Amino acid sequence: MFYKSRISLKNSWKREFKRISERPVYFLGPALVMIFCSVFFLTLMEEGWPNTLPAGVVDLDQSALSRTLIRNLDATAQTKVVSHCSSYSEAREQMQKGEIYSFVVIPEGFERNLQSGLQPAATFYVNDTYLIPGSLSLKDLSFMGHLTGAKVKQNILEARGITEENLQMAAIQPVAIDAHLIGNPWANYGIYLINLLLPGVLQLMIIMITIFSIGMELKEKTGPDWIRTAGNSRIIALAGKILPYTLLFTLLGIAVNFLLYRYLQYPLWGSMWLMCFATFLYVIASQAVGIFFIGLLPVLRDAISLGAFYGLLGFTYAGFTFPVEAMPPSVQIFSWLFPIRYYFLIYGNIALNGSPFQNYFLWFIVLACFLLLPVLVLRRIGKAAVKPEYLTK
Amino acid sequence: MKALIQYIKQRNLFAVRLSKAIKDTLTITLKEYRLVFRDSGVLIIFVGASLIYPLLYCTLYKNETLYDVPVAVVDHSHSVRSRELIRKMDATPELKVAVLFDNLEQAKCAFERREIHGVIYVPEDYSEKINRMEQATISTYCDMSSFLYYRAMTLATNYAVLNAGEKIEMERLHAAGMAGKSAEVSVHPMTFKDNILYNNGMGFASFLMPAVLILILHQTLFFGISMLAGTAREENRFRSLLPVDSKKRHLLQLITGKSMCYFSLYAVLTAYILGVIPRLFNLPHIGQPVALIGMAIPFLLATIFFSMTVSVFMRNRETGMVFFLFFSLILLFISGFSWPRSNMPSFWLAISWLFPATHGIQGYLKINSMGATLRQISFEYISLWILAAIYFVTTLIAYAWQIRSCRLRTAESGKDAVGLSNTITTIN
Repeated sequence: MFYKSRISLKNSWKREFKRISERPVYFLGPALVMIFCSVFFLTLMEEGWPNTLPAGVVDLDQSALSRTLIRNLDATAQTKVVSHCSSYSEAREQMQKGEIYSFVVIPEGFERNLQSGLQPAATFYVNDTYLIPGSLSLKDLSFMGHLTGAKVKQNILEARGITEENLQMAAIQPVAIDAHLIGNPWANYGIYLINLLLPGVLQLMIIMITIFSIGMELKEKTGPDWIRTAGNSRIIALAGKILPYTLLFTLLGIAVNFLLYRYLQYPLWGSMWLMCFATFLYVIASQAVGIFFIGLLPVLRDAISLGAFYGLLGFTYAGFTFPVEAMPPSVQIFSWLFPIRYYFLIYGNIALNGSPFQNYFLWFIVLACFLLLPVLVLRRIGKAAVKPEYLTK
Repeated sequence: MKALIQYIKQRNLFAVRLSKAIKDTLTITLKEYRLVFRDSGVLIIFVGASLIYPLLYCTLYKNETLYDVPVAVVDHSHSVRSRELIRKMDATPELKVAVLFDNLEQAKCAFERREIHGVIYVPEDYSEKINRMEQATISTYCDMSSFLYYRAMTLATNYAVLNAGEKIEMERLHAAGMAGKSAEVSVHPMTFKDNILYNNGMGFASFLMPAVLILILHQTLFFGISMLAGTAREENRFRSLLPVDSKKRHLLQLITGKSMCYFSLYAVLTAYILGVIPRLFNLPHIGQPVALIGMAIPFLLATIFFSMTVSVFMRNRETGMVFFLFFSLILLFISGFSWPRSNMPSFWLAISWLFPATHGIQGYLKINSMGATLRQISFEYISLWILAAIYFVTTLIAYAWQIRSCRLRTAESGKDAVGLSNTITTIN
């Protein structure tokens, strides 16, 4: 019995490898996609954080103070003054064209009013349509404002005879913040995104290819041959079909892990082995979802549409861009239906926080539970494969 | 006189030919419409996805931003000052002090269980240091798994600390005998007002959704046209893209007819996605209708011809979806809505110009979110027309190539058939 099923499995594999060699693009395609995406995202965000974000100034004062202010702005970490405008509307127009993300207006008489104690006001304008450069520019502008204000205060203190530096600091900034950014101390934007974007693309490819490889058997009516080769066992037929892909996708996933955590030294507090095991579970859970879809809708084009819808929604429901708990409660619960959600939770625990195993072992179990999905549709797939007339076109 | 008659004849001939061409084009448009509406798969992509995706994503991101992110406080100072600081943080819209712990170890456990997304630690000497006129320091620990946690934490703690600092400065000045206006001037010798333009709630949906809406138009058109092309190949004789009897001289009518079908269908869908959805979900919508329509026309044309060109390579119905679904993500990021275009490597910048989605997203953001006019987005506007022209020509070339290779195959198989019948006759 056992021997027989081993032979059937071998035959199924042989058949599958033959199919793959006839259409190598369906095996090489996912690998090429992963390589392309890795190169794309890693080179796109090479800087980690965007530097030299273009900013404008409208200097209506033309004084020593206003020039200091502009110099300070230019010297901040991420902003660069690229344009000197003569009026607010000119600067606004440049902003609307997308040439600058922020500008500061220094009104006429700024320095004079400061010296007369009239508390002059300068105004920042930040374009938050582009949320990332906008937020960063605002941070730099406020920092520059504090810096310039502090310098003025320092001058006042010196005039009063307080020259000791720590006394000056205490007077200028009585409370300071020592911020610890857990797991991503540089607040690197790539680390926020790429750690999840690449596994996200992986699950997209897994779901589509799984649906496609099974769906093509149904579409081309080769199902009877497929099941027969597996000794009329649906389980062996399915195993023979998807195990080569399991191997491929696990290797791709682990390659991504090594690229990110070893080669690029992305933060990984926990164990690499556990991370790779999580990747493996994530791969087979995604395959299980793919099998479930083609079983549910045994028509290739319908299952593909469903898979595409689900796969793209995964990026949202993972919760790495917009946290799930901020979504309306009625749609929050669907996040539990996505393997990528558990992968994100496991990743946060292992890589960023390095927290103890009991905090996330549950998510491993849930990922494993996705393997029950194919069982639900096993009969249906078998039926669709053996009786092609069971299908509509 | 004779010449005049001849001229009229010639003109008539031209008019006849023109009216015939228009009739042919319309026939092709109608035929394409029938194809689209008979094919449930294509209909799901063109109409279903275009209608549902905007509603779905807008619902998911409806709350725009994070409110009251739960954080823990470890207060070792137990002073009036520290309690005031904590109250101030709790009062910000961004943070909520969910729990007080005795030590950092407890806070760490809660953090690791994701019950809280940040920890604020006030050291023992906080109040004393301030009283001794030294600089006091508090520590914050922030969950970095999402940018929005980090932003909420930074905004709220900075606000509370600056506020506390100003109060302390005021106290000191009062103690030194300075009061009223002159004390205020010493604390704030100058002020800075910040104005956040165009997305003043700093909302996530207002930032992401405009880009996603354009991308939905681009990608549904692309996948729908790819599926139509793949289906045609599966169903036509010799697996050709176009019907076997297509003629080269009908090329222009063929392409115009097909694209008119897609264009008219998408004119309606675009009005819904770009006109209705932003108002329904209160996304930014300050664009002038003229500018929006002006941009949408070249965007749709460029996208249609781009998709028609690429669709030549689709062998199966499903190929496009299987292999190019991930490209939606690439298009989104390369458009520069998130990672700024000013900081993109020039290589990717150049690549991005090839896709109508890039100019569409940038143009739409500028018109609809920032109120730009067509003159201000002239770069995107002209680029879209250039892309439309280029992809129209590539579609012409690709279709001409398809017709040629199809005719060659027909001729070959015709020969074969003749040869075969000859053989059969001989046998007989």
